[in-house]
Order: sequence, then structure tokens, then C-alpha cells
Amino acid sequence: MKRPGWTGEPLVHFLIAGAVIFAFFAWRGEEVDPASRTISVDREQQAQIALGFERMMQRPPTDAELDSQIERYVRDEVLYREALRLGLDRDDAVVRRRLAQKMDMLASAQAETEQPSAKVLLAWYDAHPERFADETRYTFDQLWFDSEVAARSAMGKVRSAKDWRRLGQAISLPPSLTGEARDEVLARFGEQFLTAIDLLEPGEQWQGPVRSGFGWHLVHLRAREPGKPRPFAEIANTVENDWRTATIAARREEGYRLLREAYKVEIDK
Amino acid sequence: MRNGLVYAAGLMAGAALLAGCDMAANIPEAARGTGEGAIELAEFPDRPYWGDTHLHTDNSIDAFGFGVRLGPEEALRFASGEEVTSTTGVKGRLARPLDFLVIADHSDAMGATRRLYDAPRLLIRDATLRRWHDMMHESPQQSQRAVAELITAAANGTLPKGLTEDPEAQAEATRDIWTAQLETLDRYNRPGKFTALAGFEWTLMPDGNNLHRVVMFRDGSDKTGKVAPFQSIDTRVEQLWDYMDAYARKTGGQVLAIPHNSNVSNGLMFELTMPDGGPMTAEYARRRARAEPVVEITQIKGDSETHPFLSPNDEFASFGVAGWELGNLPLTQRATPAMAGGSYVREALKRGLSIEQRLGVNPYSFGVVGSTDSHTALATADEDNFFGKHTGNEPANRNRALDPQNLGTDIGRFGWNYLAGGYAAAWARGNTRAEIFDAFRRREVYATTGPRMVVRLFGGFDFTEADWAGDWVRAGYRRGVPMGGALKDKGKVPTFLISALKDPDGANLDRVQMVKGWVDASGELHERVYDVVWSDMDRRRSSGGKVPAVGDTVDRKTATYTNSIGAAELRSVWRDPSYRHGQRAFYYLRVLEIPTPRWPLYDAVRFGIKLPADAMADAVAQERAYSSPIWLKPKKRK
Repeated sequence: MKRPGWTGEPLVHFLIAGAVIFAFFAWRGEEVDPASRTISVDREQQAQIALGFERMMQRPPTDAELDSQIERYVRDEVLYREALRLGLDRDDAVVRRRLAQKMDMLASAQAETEQPSAKVLLAWYDAHPERFADETRYTFDQLWFDSEVAARSAMGKVRSAKDWRRLGQAISLPPSLTGEARDEVLARFGEQFLTAIDLLEPGEQWQGPVRSGFGWHLVHLRAREPGKPRPFAEIANTVENDWRTATIAARREEGYRLLREAYKVEIDK
Repeated sequence: MRNGLVYAAGLMAGAALLAGCDMAANIPEAARGTGEGAIELAEFPDRPYWGDTHLHTDNSIDAFGFGVRLGPEEALRFASGEEVTSTTGVKGRLARPLDFLVIADHSDAMGATRRLYDAPRLLIRDATLRRWHDMMHESPQQSQRAVAELITAAANGTLPKGLTEDPEAQAEATRDIWTAQLETLDRYNRPGKFTALAGFEWTLMPDGNNLHRVVMFRDGSDKTGKVAPFQSIDTRVEQLWDYMDAYARKTGGQVLAIPHNSNVSNGLMFELTMPDGGPMTAEYARRRARAEPVVEITQIKGDSETHPFLSPNDEFASFGVAGWELGNLPLTQRATPAMAGGSYVREALKRGLSIEQRLGVNPYSFGVVGSTDSHTALATADEDNFFGKHTGNEPANRNRALDPQNLGTDIGRFGWNYLAGGYAAAWARGNTRAEIFDAFRRREVYATTGPRMVVRLFGGFDFTEADWAGDWVRAGYRRGVPMGGALKDKGKVPTFLISALKDPDGANLDRVQMVKGWVDASGELHERVYDVVWSDMDRRRSSGGKVPAVGDTVDRKTATYTNSIGAAELRSVWRDPSYRHGQRAFYYLRVLEIPTPRWPLYDAVRFGIKLPADAMADAVAQERAYSSPIWLKPKKRK
């Protein structure tokens, strides 16, 4: 069966589900309306109370305990409705924050547990190529010196040297890396070096000196290859993690925006 | 307007109805297990992999109460280099990602503060719990006060019954959290790139004396899902080891435990006796050595290497001691000098030698790592990115350096006593669960107080300066043992290949020291710190056994330093000048950076606060690395 494209839109799901919930609340309206003077504790409500007791006390309530819990529930409900009538919820920072949190949670709950279809993930993968590309890879030789002067003086000799490796000072850094990922170069040579060699053009020449946290380097940057996209099949998991994180944040924002649009906010300067 | 709100609530609630799924579907097979065979491995461990083995998220009973609202997923994203917004709204990203992470939430009452927070108030019958519930809702400050009370109650064994009454119900809740967490770990585990390890913290604390262990698993959810985190309440450490043995038997998997914060154990972490005071048995010593191959030597709650009282001739012994030395974790019991021996790592290594001489087994033959013990779900360890011990002292709290710590008696410990945290370095052949875990198992790991220095140590009998000219790492592995290994005494002087490379984005190195501990023929214990190699050796001549201080470039007004002193790399081949045939000994390296600002000084400059004199005196320090030891063992007598 083929369905129209709009049926796959999360926002549509969101709106439909919202309408369903609204209808549900409307149907049960009497019970949630604090203006009503009727409190009915039906079987379902009693089961809820018993369950809450069990969660807290880690055993089911006895009949007497349930009765007293129901009595407390009624008492609290009476006071709660009167409090709402008096508007006591309005200036309460705790109530305010708690309700705001609940709204946030509701907006993102679906994305937290939903299993997106392969189609959704593929679309996400196609829309954000930069997030799923492999890292840039570097191929270079390097010589290290503890001073700029030493590095400059070696620069004059490096082209004609039989064994360039002998020109540098001793340090526990690899003289050559081949096709190494950006994060590996970062781990071994640090940010300063990486930033510096990103400014060099790859080629057959020795370049530098460039600065690192260790001192000075001459660099023969043989190649710098931008990361290729990785096949979806290999990284579906990473795509899903990314989709989920971004979708949770987006749904929260989306939910907020829908509400925010109905408000005019005035902030005194 | 009211109707509009109901409609919007319905709209948002609609999202919640459409749940239900199997999130594990996309996880590649290799990411679910140990990663063996998943990537190509180097011939020898070729670089240290950096990680944190001790991170708390909102599943920890105290972390949630302290205010954190970030969970395992955010913790993994942050550690692997992604941007995450902290609970207090500050965006952060690690400049250099970590290579591995162990999420170590408290196994006791996992998720309980969240349940208490979410519980309907009228059902909370216990007066204390109801008060904590109210405090948690009242304000972040009150919430932190509630958790401080809770930790003290846990330390004193006076937790309200509602929290601990029904172990079965709690176990079920814990299992739910554990199952979800294991799947999250598998989702973020990427062999060759980022390793997500399962773990928990076992929080044994008799009378407030800290005997905590982080338990760390080698395996994926196929095995770790068959057990649940082990509770500490009313247990002994032997029961933890039973649990670990049972796990290995049941699943064929592997697990180890990492003791931490011996500095607030009031002498109980490394006792000479059994925990009940009786003489230590060989069986106990053997089990301990097998279950606990690595100890966390440094973290936010102070440094446990040694104390000036134990090492009066060690001029660098006081790092991260201030405040923590006063007593046990909640400061319900003050420390006495007699307790110091059981509270610090160097002394424990010495005690191990003496117990081994007596029993034939060394219970304290462990390697060392650093970690954070952060309760913010953010594994930060650098001085200039300190995100706080918990959410109450994230950088949003400008006064955090001066605030009294809010545990227990409140007396004598302040915000500035916190260290920025440490990291664990593991010498492994690749970045997988199996490789990282196995590095811990063979103790080829080391600790730093945050900076990422590259520290190599090989012990053997025939290393010479000529080895530097060739492939000395290969020589180290072929003709000797790496850190964490043991040498058999053959009547020859042990020699060591020592190399320390500075953190490329950090401070230069001041010096490398060899710390030797040994037991003499009469059974007496000794220690000595040798300066092995240091910067500008021709100008900084050692006199009277002391190397002159490296200097101090820190500008207290701007919290800056320059690398105009110190060295990028220090190397040496070192022969033990005090070797005696037949002597049991251990050797570990301590690598010191030049002085740099600690986080309170960065805070003082950033927020324009004035530090009191004692905080100011501690505002500049020499960050350091500690290697795992190499042991020298006499040949077995018949």
C-alpha cells in the first residue's frame, strides 16, 4: 500500500496524536476540571493509588492502607482544587518549573524511544553528509627541533640530504604518518601542529618551520585527503544516534515554538 | 486560554503515545562485543589511549540530587568529542576527544533520587524522605543540601528505610536502568575509534570510611546483561569478589575492580590485616591481587599517592592533599597519623612487599590510573575546563572555589580543595574493549592529573644509552618488561628505559623521578625518590641530592604561564644505585610539569573573585603523571 508523503512527517504524527489526546481529555473533561465539585475515585484511580503505594513501599497496600490512601487522595484533591480556585499555583516557582519540565519531556518522549525506519535514517544521512564523512587523512614526514633557529638551519640542508631523518633532533614522535586520521594526528601532535599543517599545501617540498606544543617542525606534507562519505550500511548506528539526539532537541524546540507563537512577550528595557 | 494550553499539552503528550521499539537493531555486531578481531592491531602498544574510568550520570543517587540532568548518552557523546550542553546551560566540547569511557554510576539505590523526586508527595510517608523530596523541588541549593544529608546518612548507615527496605524492588529498578545503559554503551562503542565500557561504582563505606571500587567489564551487553550491578549495603569486599568470580564463571567474560579515594578511607583501604582485624591470609591476598590489578591514584577528590607525613623527604608529596587529609569522606571521623599508612598508594605498595615476604603473595601489586569521579556526566580533567565535582559547582556558580564543601560536618573542606580531575592512559595495541581492558589487566596503564603526557617505562638488565638510536620501544618489549610488569632478580642491577613526552597542548616538563620502595633483610620498609632526568641539566646542577626548582612563570593576575622553562621531552637510562641482590622492590615514575595555574586561579581571574591566602598558596601546582610500577622479585626459594 502506498501512502501519501505527508503521512510520514513527524509533525503530522504530532498533530494527529495531539488531537487524539485533546479529544481524550475533552471526553474525560469532567474529571480533570478543577472547577467541578464532584470527586469520583473510580476503580482505575484506585489502582493507580495502590500502584503508587507499591512503588514507594515496595509491597501492595492492605485494604485499610488503601482506604486511608484514598482518604488522603480525596483530601489532597479537595485542597488542590481549592488552591487552583484561589490561583495558588500561579506564583509558585516549584509548580512553574515542574510543569515546564513536563512539557519538555512530553515533546521529546517519542524521539527517545522511537525506532526510526531505514528510510528516515537514510534521509537524515543524505541531509547531513558532513557529519558522517570519514575524517580528513594526513600523510607527512616531519622533523622536530627545539628552536626556530635550529629548524631554519636544517631547512637549508633537507632537500639535498641523503637521509632526512638524521637532520632532526631526537623526540618520541613518529617521523612519518601515512593516511592517518585527523584525531590520531591531534592525539599525537596536538592542536597547534594540526592547525599549522592545515594551512600548508600538500606537495613535494619540505615546508616550515611550523610551531607545535613541542617546538618547531619541518614538514613534508605529502597528502591531505578530505574524508570520504562512509557507506550508510557501515554507520547506520551512528546515523541513528545522531538522528535521535538532534530529533529530541528539535521536537522540544518545535513544541515550544508552537506554543510560543501564541504569546506576545514584552520585556521592559 | 486554558483550553489552548490543554490543547498544547495534548499535542505534546501525543508524542509520548507512539513509543515502543527495538533500538538495538542498527548496532553492528563488532560493537556489541569485546571488539576482538574487529580492527587491525599494532605489533606493540604504540600510543597511550586516554580515558576516564569513573564518571557519574543522572542515574547516580547523589549526582541526580546534586542537580545533574544528563545521562549516559550525553556522557558518551561528550567524551567522544561531541558538543553537549551542561545541566546549567553551558555548552561544552572537549578540544581533544577521549578514547574510552567507563560510566560508573553508584550501584546502590540506582535511580532512587529520581524516583523520590518524581514520587507523588502524599505517598512519601517517611518524614525524612518527604523533607528531601521537598528540598529537591525547592531549589538547586536545597537539593544539594538534601543529597549531602543523604550521603552522610549512607555513611552512617541511617538511610531511611523507604530507600533500602526492599532489595528486590530496588534490584528490579536497577536492572531496568542497567539494561538501558548497556544498550546505550553498545550504540556508542566504535571499535578502533571510541570504546564504551560497562561498569558501576560499588560504594562500601563503613562508618564513612571510603572503600569504594569502580567495577569495570571487558564485555558487551550479551554478557554484561546477564548480571546486574552489585549492591554494597551490608556487604564485605570478599562478596564483591564473589560476585565478580560468579560473573566470569557464568558468562566466560572478564571484570576487574579499581579502588579509589583511599585518601578518605582513614587507613582502611590498604590494611596490613584482614578487614576484620585478623591476620591476612594468603587466600585473601591472592584474591585481592587478582580482582584489583589497578588503583585510582588521583581524581577530583584529591590525590592519594603519598602524604608528607609518610614521605617527609619528598618535596613534591603534598599535591592534592589539602582538605582531604583531615578525615574520612563525610568527615565524621578525623584522621590520625596512625591511619596514614593505609590511606596512600606508595605506602600500600611498600606494605605489599612486606606482606609478600611473609605470605608469599602480594595483595597490593597494583598499577595506577587517574580519573575524574565527576558527577556532571562530563569527563573534564583540565584545569582550564573544570566543570565541577557536581552540578552545584559547575562554572555557573562563580563562588564555587570559596564555597565550603557540603558533605557531613562541613568543617575544613572548601571548593578549592577539589582537583580538576585525572585521566587514565592505557598502553594498548588498538582501541577496543578487549585491548583497553587487557592493558588494565596487565597493569600497562598510568595516571595523570589531567595533562596528556606520554610516559614510557621499560625495566630490564641490559638497557644502555645506545638503545635510543634504534627502535627502542621494540627493544623495551623484547629485552624487558613494560610498566606493570615484574622482573626476576638474577643478581644483576636492573636498568630502566625512561621516556616522558610533554602534552603537546600543555606545559613543558620539569623532571622525571623514579620512586623506589623496598623491604630490607630485617623486614623494614624504605622508600626513596630519585631525580632521574630534568630540563636544563647542565645549568640545574643537583647539589646535596636536590635538584634546584625549575622556576615559576605563572602570572597570578592573568592565570597564564609560558613554556620558556622546562623541556619538551625527557629521556634517560637509569640504573638502580641502591640495588641489593635478593631485595624485593618496586619502581614507578613520577613526571612533573612546570608550575601552572590550578582551576581556582582561572576562576579567580575569570569571575573576578579574591582567593583567601591558603587557597592562593595552592593556586599554582606542578601537574604530574604516575606510572604503574615495575616489581623486582627474588627468585623463588624452594
